[in-house]
Parts: sequence; C-alpha cells; structure tokens
Amino acid sequence: MSEPVVIVKNATRSFPRHRTIGDILTRRPATEVKAVDGVSFTLSPGEVMAVVGESGCGKTTTANLVMGLLTPTSGEIEVDGLDLGGANRAALREARRRIQMVFQDPYESLNPRMTVYDIVAEPLRVHKATANRAEEKMRVEQSLEFAGLRPAARFGGLRPHELSGGMRQRVVIAGALVLEPAVLVADEPVSMLDVSIRAEILNLLGALATEKNIAVLMITHDLSTVAAYADRVAVMYLGRIVELGPTLDVMTDARHPYTQALLSVVPVPHPDRRRPRVILSGETPDPSRIPPGCRFHPRCPVAVAACESTDPADVQVSPGHTAACLLVTE
Amino acid sequence: MSRSRLLIRKIVWALITVLVVISFNFFLFRVLPGDPAKAGVKDPRLSAAAVEVARVKFGLDKPVFINLADGPWHDSQYFRYLGSTLSGDFGESYAFKNRTVSELVGRSLINTVWLVLPAQLIAIVTGVALGLIAAWKRGTKLDVSALTFGLFTWSLPTFFLGIVLLFFGSRWFGFPTAGRVTIGAGDLSLWAEIRDIVRHLFLPTLTLSLVLIGEYLLIMRSSVVEVFSEDYILTAQAKGLKPAMILRKHGFRNAMLPIVTLIALNLGFTVSGAIQVETVFSWPGLGLLTVNAVSSRDFPVLQGAFLLLAVSVIAANLLAELIYLRLDPRVTEV
Amino acid sequence: MSWYRRLWLHPLGRVGLVMLGVVLVVAIFAPLLAPYDPYASARVTVDDIYARPTGAHLLGTDDAGKDVLSSLFYGARVSLIVGFSAATIALLIGGTVGIIAGYRGGKLGSGLMRITDFFLVVPELALQIVIVAIVGQSLRNIILVIGVLGWTTTARLVRSQTLTVRERKFVERARAIGAGDLPILIRHVLPQVLPLMLANTVLVISLAILSESTLAFLGLGDPTQISWGQMLNFAFSRGAVSAGAWWALVPPGLAIVWVVLGTTMVGNALEDMFNPRVGRHHLEKERGLRLRIDAPVPAANNIALSIRNLVVEFESESGPLTAVDGVSFDVANGQSVGLVGESGCGKTTTMLAALRLLPPGGSCPGGEVVFDGIDLTTLPEDELRELRWTRLAMVFQGAMNALNPVRTVGDQIVEAIRVHDNSQSRSAAMGRARELLELVGIGAGRADEFPHQFSGGMRQRAMIALALACEPEVIVADEPTTALDVMIQAQVMNLLVEIRRRMGMAMVLITHDLGVVAESCDRVVVMYGGVIAEQGTVDEVYSHPQHPYTRLLLEAIPDMDRPERALIAIPGAPPRLDELPPGCRFAPRCPQAFDRCHSERPGMSIIGPGHEASCFLLEESVRV
Repeated sequence: MSEPVVIVKNATRSFPRHRTIGDILTRRPATEVKAVDGVSFTLSPGEVMAVVGESGCGKTTTANLVMGLLTPTSGEIEVDGLDLGGANRAALREARRRIQMVFQDPYESLNPRMTVYDIVAEPLRVHKATANRAEEKMRVEQSLEFAGLRPAARFGGLRPHELSGGMRQRVVIAGALVLEPAVLVADEPVSMLDVSIRAEILNLLGALATEKNIAVLMITHDLSTVAAYADRVAVMYLGRIVELGPTLDVMTDARHPYTQALLSVVPVPHPDRRRPRVILSGETPDPSRIPPGCRFHPRCPVAVAACESTDPADVQVSPGHTAACLLVTE
Repeated sequence: MSRSRLLIRKIVWALITVLVVISFNFFLFRVLPGDPAKAGVKDPRLSAAAVEVARVKFGLDKPVFINLADGPWHDSQYFRYLGSTLSGDFGESYAFKNRTVSELVGRSLINTVWLVLPAQLIAIVTGVALGLIAAWKRGTKLDVSALTFGLFTWSLPTFFLGIVLLFFGSRWFGFPTAGRVTIGAGDLSLWAEIRDIVRHLFLPTLTLSLVLIGEYLLIMRSSVVEVFSEDYILTAQAKGLKPAMILRKHGFRNAMLPIVTLIALNLGFTVSGAIQVETVFSWPGLGLLTVNAVSSRDFPVLQGAFLLLAVSVIAANLLAELIYLRLDPRVTEV
Repeated sequence: MSWYRRLWLHPLGRVGLVMLGVVLVVAIFAPLLAPYDPYASARVTVDDIYARPTGAHLLGTDDAGKDVLSSLFYGARVSLIVGFSAATIALLIGGTVGIIAGYRGGKLGSGLMRITDFFLVVPELALQIVIVAIVGQSLRNIILVIGVLGWTTTARLVRSQTLTVRERKFVERARAIGAGDLPILIRHVLPQVLPLMLANTVLVISLAILSESTLAFLGLGDPTQISWGQMLNFAFSRGAVSAGAWWALVPPGLAIVWVVLGTTMVGNALEDMFNPRVGRHHLEKERGLRLRIDAPVPAANNIALSIRNLVVEFESESGPLTAVDGVSFDVANGQSVGLVGESGCGKTTTMLAALRLLPPGGSCPGGEVVFDGIDLTTLPEDELRELRWTRLAMVFQGAMNALNPVRTVGDQIVEAIRVHDNSQSRSAAMGRARELLELVGIGAGRADEFPHQFSGGMRQRAMIALALACEPEVIVADEPTTALDVMIQAQVMNLLVEIRRRMGMAMVLITHDLGVVAESCDRVVVMYGGVIAEQGTVDEVYSHPQHPYTRLLLEAIPDMDRPERALIAIPGAPPRLDELPPGCRFAPRCPQAFDRCHSERPGMSIIGPGHEASCFLLEESVRV
C-alpha cells in the first residue's frame, strides 16, 4: 500500500454558540458545539472510503476539514503533504487544486447559464493550469469522455437543463477530475438521483480511484448503497468515528451497537426474508450536549452501567477494523 | 432569540432611528449649501447689532457640534437643538409672526390624520378584499379588470387624479374646491359644521383611497396566489374544507403576513400621497404646511413638519412590525 | 431566444415598448413636431389665455397663452431625461450597496442594510422637497436628489437576490474549486442578479418620472424648463379649474400616465420573464370535470378503491401532456398497496387524480375511480367533500409545507375533526387530538406547538396523526419518509405500518424504495412513464419478476444479506412527458427490446392470479 494522501489525526472542530446579552449578564458560560470530536483516519491514493452517519453526526464538517474549507480547532489534517491547519493562503489555494469536490445536488451545483464545456473548463481557468486553448480543449474533452459523456464535442455545447440528473452528475465529476486532483470529496453523490442510475455514478467514482489513482472520500447517510462501493467505511455518531473497517467486514460483522442498528433497519428487498430490526428510539441528541461516558449510551439497546461514565477507546477487532464500544473485545 | 427580547429590540431600534432622523434633520438644514438656518439673520435691512442679537437668540454664535472653547461640551448648536427638539420646542415660524412651530405643526397633524386615517382604512379594507377575490378568481374577467385597475392607478400621479376629481366633482356634483370649512358660512350648528367638513373631506379622501387601493390590491393578489399554491392549502382541501373556509382559516392570515410588512414599507408612499392631495385640495394638513413653508422659505416650519412626518412613519412602521410579530409564530430573529 | 426578443413577444411588453417608443420619438423630434416654440416669448392678449382648442391650437392654450400641444411635446424631454438619469444614479448606488451587502454579508453587510432601512422609513417625497428647497431648483439638482434618494428598493432587491445566489450550490462549487471573490461575482453572481435588476430598472425609471412631475407640480421644478408637472402646476395654480380649461390640465396629466404606464408594463413583462411567479393555485375551479348519470360497475365486495383505466393530462404551451395513461388497479379492504417507480413515472399524479387533488392545469379526461359504488372522478365537489378525510385521507410528502405554519398542530387536527362532525365540542376534539398525538409518539403535551417547533420526523408523525383524525378507510401515503434520517425513516414506517394494521385501514404507499414496499405492503404496482409495467402480490413480483423493468429495478437496490453483490444500473433516464416513445415506454432503456417494442405498445399479459405485466416478451401468457 502506498503512502496515505490524507492523514487526519485526532481532529476536533467546535463552533462557538452565539452568546446573547442575557447570557453575558447572567454569566452563563460560553457554550460550544463540538461538531467533530477527535476523529482520526487515513486515506491512500486509489482508495475509496465512505463516512456514514445521520444528520448532525459531523460527517459534513469532517469533509469540510479535509477540503480545507474549515480549519480544525485542534488536531492535525494533512492532505497531499500539506498541513491544512497551519497553511497560509497561497498554500491553501494550491491545496484547492489538489482536492476537488462532488456535490449532492447535480441540479443546483451547475450554473444554469454556463455550457458544459465552460463548467468543466472553469477549474483549469481559475488555476491557470493550461498553457493555451488547445491544451484546455484537450483536457476538458478527456475529462468529459472519462466521465462517460461521449462524444465530448456534442456534450460540451449543451447547458445543464438539457441534461438528465445522471448526466449532470457526470458533468460535476468531469469538472472535478479535470485538474487531476489527489483527493476527491463526494458529498452524498447519488442521494438526489433515481435508484436506477445510482450504480453507474458510483462505478464512475470507483473508476476514478482505480484508474486515476485518486483518493475518494464519500460522505453519505446511506450505508446500504453508497458505502457498499467503498473499500472502507467509517461510521460516525455525534462527532466521533464509532466504527471503522473494510466494508465487507463492517457489513457482515458489525461490532458497534449503533452500526448494527443502522444495518438492521435497511429494508430487505424480499418479503420472505425478515431480519430482526433494532429501531433506536428518539433522535440524535443536540451536539452541544454530548452525553457523558459513551455518547451513544442513552439510546444504546445493550448499554451497561459502565457506559454512563467511561468514554470507550477504539478497540481493534481485526486488522484495520476498530470499534469504540466497551462491550467489544479484541 | 426569545420573542419578548425581539420586541424590545424592535422598540429600541425605532427609538434609535428617531434619534438619527432628528440629527439628520439638524445637519440637513445646516450643512447643505444655502445654510438656511442663517437665512433668518441675513436680512440686509437689519443692523449689525440686531444681527448679533438674532445670532445669539438662535444660538448661532455657538460651535456646531461640540463646544471645546467655552462652557460645557454640550453647549453647542447640535445639543441645544437636540434638547429643545426632545422637549417639543421647534422654534418660531419665520412666516407666521409669533406662532411657534409646534403649534402650527400640531394643528396640521390633526387635520392630516383626519384625511389619512379614513383613506388608509378604506383602502386597506377594499384593496385587501379586492385582491383576495381577484386571486381566488384568478384568470377570470374579474381578475383581469382588477389587475388593470391596479396597474392604471399605480401609473396615475396622485395630484393628477386629485385635479381630475376636483375639476369634475366641483363642476358636476358641486363639491367644494378647497379648504376644510366653507369660508364665510358664519356660525353653524355642530351638525351642519360636521356635514360641511365631511363634504370638504370627501374628494381628498376618495383620491387618496383610490391610489392606495390599487397598490394594496396588487400586493394582496400576488400574496394570496402564492399562499394558495402552498401545500397546506392542498391539505386543507383534502381535509374536506369548503373553499370559503380555506380562504378564511388558511388563506387570509397567511397572506396577510407579507401585506403587513408591505403596508408598513408603503407608509412613505402614503405620506407622499397626503402631501399631493392636501396641495390640490388646499387641505390644511402637514403636507400643505410643508409645501407652503417651502415657497415662503419658512425653514423652522419645514424642519418641524419634516421631523413629524418622519417620526409618524417610524411609529407606524413599528406598529406594523409588532402586528407581524403577533401574526407569525415563526419569527425568532430580526 | 434573446431577452429583448422575448420582451417583444410578451403582450404587455410590446404595448409598453410601443408606448415608450412614441414618447421617445416625440421627445427627440419635438422642435420639428411642435407647431410653436414654447420657449419663445410672444405678445399675449387676454383672448389668447386659456383659448379653447381650435385648428390653430389643437389642444388650446395655457395660462400664458402658449400652445399646449407644443409644450406637451417639449415636456417629454424633461420627463425622459430626469427618468433615465435619476434611475442610472439610483441603480449604480443601489446595485453596488446591494451586491456588497449581499455577497460580503457580515458587519459591513448588516451596516449597509441598516442605512438602507433608515432611508426606507424616511418619507421620500418630504425629504425630496426639503432637499430641493435647500439646494435650489435646477434640473441637475432634481436629478441628483431623485437618484440619490431612490436607491433603497434596488439595494434591497439586489441584496436579497445576491444572498440567494451566494447560497446556491454552484457558487459553493466555484469557491471549492478555488475561484476568488471577483471572478465568482462576475461569472456566477452577476449573471443571475442582472436580469431582475433590469426589471427593477424599468420600475425605478417610472418612479423617477413620477417623482419629477410631482416635484414640479408642487412648484419645485426647474423654472427654466417646460415639463408636464410644471404645466399642471401653472394651469392649476392659475385658475384653469375655475376657467373650465380642461385642455390645460388633462393632456399633461395623461402624458405622465402614458409614460409611466408604458414603463410599468415593460417592467412587469420583464419581471414575468425573469422571475416567473406561481401563476396558478389550488383553489382555482377544476376544469374539465365530466358529468355522469349512470352508476359505475360496482367493484367486488372486498375492494375498497378501484382505479380503472385512469388518464391524467396536464395543460402545457404545446398542448395537453399525458402524465398517466390508462392505469388500473384495485386496493382491497385493509390491504396495503405499494406504488413504486422512478421519479416522474406518474405515481403521485395517479393518486392525486384519484383523490381529485390534482394541481391546477391537471385534468382527468378518462377512466374512473370507484369508491363505495361511486365514481370519484365525476362526483360533484360538495358530495366529494363529505368523503374527504372521513373515508379517504392522505399523508403528504414533506410535512413542513403540508402543515399550516401559523396554526398549532393540535388546532389543525381539531379542524379536521370538527369540519366533519360539528356535534363535537372544541374541547372534546382537542382531547381526541391529544390522544392521536400520544398515539403517534409525539406526546399530548405538544398539541399547542407550531410545526416549526417540531423536528422533521416529528412533523411527519404529526401529519400521520392528522390523517388518522377521522379514522378513514383508505389512506394514501406519499413518500412519507423521504428526506428523513435512516433511523427516523424506520421509526416512521414502523409506526405507519403498525397503526394501519391495528385500525384495519387500506393504504396506498407511494415510494421509490422497493425495500420499503417489501417490508410493508401486500401488493405492489410498478409504474413506468405513466403506465403500469407490472403488478401483483409482493411475494409473486419479488420472487418472479416478469417485466424487464421490474427485474432491473430489483437488481439496482442493495440487499444487506448479500453485501458483496454488485448493483446494476439502468442506463438512460425515464422519458419526458413531451417526448414519450411511440411504442413501449421502457423500450429505449430496455436491454431486451426488439423492433416491435419501438413501434407498438404492449397490452397487459396475465401471468397468474392478480399478477400481470405489460411486455411483448410475455405474449405467450394470456392476453387481457
């Protein structure tokens, strides 16, 4: 395995809560929302990793940290050899070139007034990455064709509204790969698309990793479809990775009760097969009030007394597979 | 943010705005070219000594903003002005000898309220009702005529509408052409006097309401159409509510939300309408006072009238915001 | 099509442009068109003052004995000059302030908006009067005053537009790429904001023209220039009313109306083009309601709802579009039917049509929906109202919008109960509402809260409680769990399935998730492009899918029991309503399609009891 291109070490990001005049007068202490609370993982070139969790679990903040759009409150984030925590503006700008992003909503993430060609060429122009028009044209067309929009010449002149959702997402991907980035962050890349075309977009993202040696980080709430296309899965709950491991390991041998619950509620597409479902009651707590001890214990179906006071450390269950739960043993 | 805190914040903001308007008013009349404050003491017929007396009287010998030389720091034109304004003293009129500005402005304000309030009420009720019906019957002849009416009155200068109504109203229906009461009518019984005033008020009120109705109609119509295409109207329909009931319980209140804000924003427009109508019908209100003060270069009166107009609009605006706060449970931030 | 071409084709826009064109021509060629020169001094006799219109003076003369028509022509110049120059100033200031406030936001932005708010509450005309009175009445000053005071509406509009655009994903994408602020502004923000600013410009121009004429009428115009407001001022203050000289008053007034009306029309047309508002709403009268006297063929005893050969059309510029084309299926008492398919396949439209809740522009020209021996598609509205909610209820998609934001949740449930049973007192109905909220796991105590105080999952539960208010026989649930978190989805579906079983209601569940259908439905109806591809019991269809579309769809969804299995994709996209293929709707994407599929539409083939599919490959089975 090659050297990791993304290294996240114990990263924390908190947002201060707005203090009102009343708070200051009553000397209420300043509170903060810990969106990401001690997250560590690495990502190697050519690898696809999925960060899975429900809304408020910190997965989007994690993505923004890796993108360099947010700086960590503490901890280290290194992307392509650059420390994003301490980088200056020029270095961050260079980092932007090495990290690209695919957004959730292909209907909104394309400027309706621009042509497909201009949308894909924009990153090249922003970073002045090509010497001349001919080179630009060549690289745009290569990207479009790689993204499955063939022949590139025909698609280049179209505008977003002339394309279906799947094709738009291909345009977004073409725009992201035109700079030949080291890292691609995909935020819910298929959740707005119909089930019937999700697989082809996910396959395309997989091809980016295997053929272009790009490290792909997918952010998703969908453990069943998206995560299945990743090499590794990280499950987040309230700002922390509670389970991390090779996809098949996690899917077939989940150790953390939260992962087990998430897996159990995925509907089985056959009426004859029924699995016991673990439906957690209540909703994810407010990240400004993280429960003491194990943060999952108030909703955990198997919690014991110790869970209320001890925050569990990551326990290795098999090579590369860890879970943060007191009940998990090596 | 809690709603009571929001309320306090709105009130504080309105007070700050009033203070800013007062200061703005001061600088407007002193800083702009022409220096009207000194106009009163620039009469060439006055002797040097008399000018000096007048200068002291108007406080023009003091520094403009902060007194750094002699006396306390607040002994300046600005703080003197601020103090007297806040205590309701706007000085004396140049044009009307020995009449204080507060007296003139106060009396005119009452007349303006008599004109604007009924016109505003008529316009809101009619405009909102017509807008509601037009939206409900969208695409019908009724809707098209309502829209045309709105578009036309919007394009009609208020003063021109006033002139037309005055011209034909006085010729064909014998309405009086000017003033508040018939001059030289002698002593009238109370009832006859009220009748006389109402006759004088009829055309101005009609003019002002017509202009405002068109405005409110257009706003209400688009607001109602928007509300009627919301999903909760579909829910109400699926629940089996009659259209009239949907209109009353789900359409009206929701559609009124933007209207309240827009009516507040339109108060400046109402003032502008009042100025024009009062000028055309010689109705002795604040508007006419303002226009007359301009032609007689009576700056203290102009200053006072402008301040009062601005403060009334701010107050009415605050009222509208408080109503909005009551109508919409969702508002939790400014 | 370019925007000016579209403006010309817009009825309001064209009339407005012609009206403005006339004024422009008159203004430019005033010296040629005017019979007299109004600026020239002439000897006047008493007879010349307020002379009636004659051949020599087509519109008579004014208080100074001058030709009204000539002054009218020259007056157009001042109106247009003031209108356009003042508007330019207002737009430059307002546009800059709006873009900075909207794009930068933060302290600077809110500071700028505070200033704007301040100018909004100061009465504009009064301020204009005061300033012009102080600085002096020249054309230049008037332009400056109107322009400098007229920027606030533009600033507000541009700011809110910029704010919206700034939040849009493509701007976020440009930022993520690494583009700087200026390129983002120029390439992404301005092109979106400019069109609306153009519409606003036109309105600002008309306001400026109105302001100028008002100031002139009040005696604050430039005394050396002839303008329409000035003409009215002189005529009005110099006895035109008592002289009965309508010709000195009406023409200049109408001229102002003409210009302002023209600009307003152009403005409205532009606004219409660039910012089309919702033109239609739910309370419009239904169109194309058919009449029916005879009773429909009754459905079998155990059938709660029978949809037969249903056709739904939508109006469009290019004629009616068929969204649902001959859909038939039955829902038995107490049974739950899953209606599945990709987005745009007509599943929601089918059920909205069945409940007569189609959006405006939609109609149901064919087919019948039989409920309790009555055809719902032809039932008069007031009779239909009796059935609504007491017997047929619906759980809408996205409960945020389906609940009225300004009324409490309890109140909305009470309303549903009392509209059908006014014998119930308010407090009794509220008691029932609290029971229902308890039942769906919200808790009775939250009846007095507003929808925005609920989380997404709680709102959906509230919507379910509302649907249960009158214990209906049939409940239609439209994507009840879309946009919810996975765990909340499971909670809500679980609740819905359990309550349905306990109350013995029939349910139609509209969803795109075949997994959910497998877990909660008895029958499944697979739709594609407005027609049924396959329907049958869930057991039959999932074990032996017949239609290629069903098979592919089942292969496209994940199965946690077989995590190693690769998902397949169906290349292409569902057909658009205006481009429906002539043959089988699925043929363009079907891997097994042959010649006949592209030219002819397949009928329904019966595969087994209650199991049927529409595909030529199944022809050997019994045709209907």
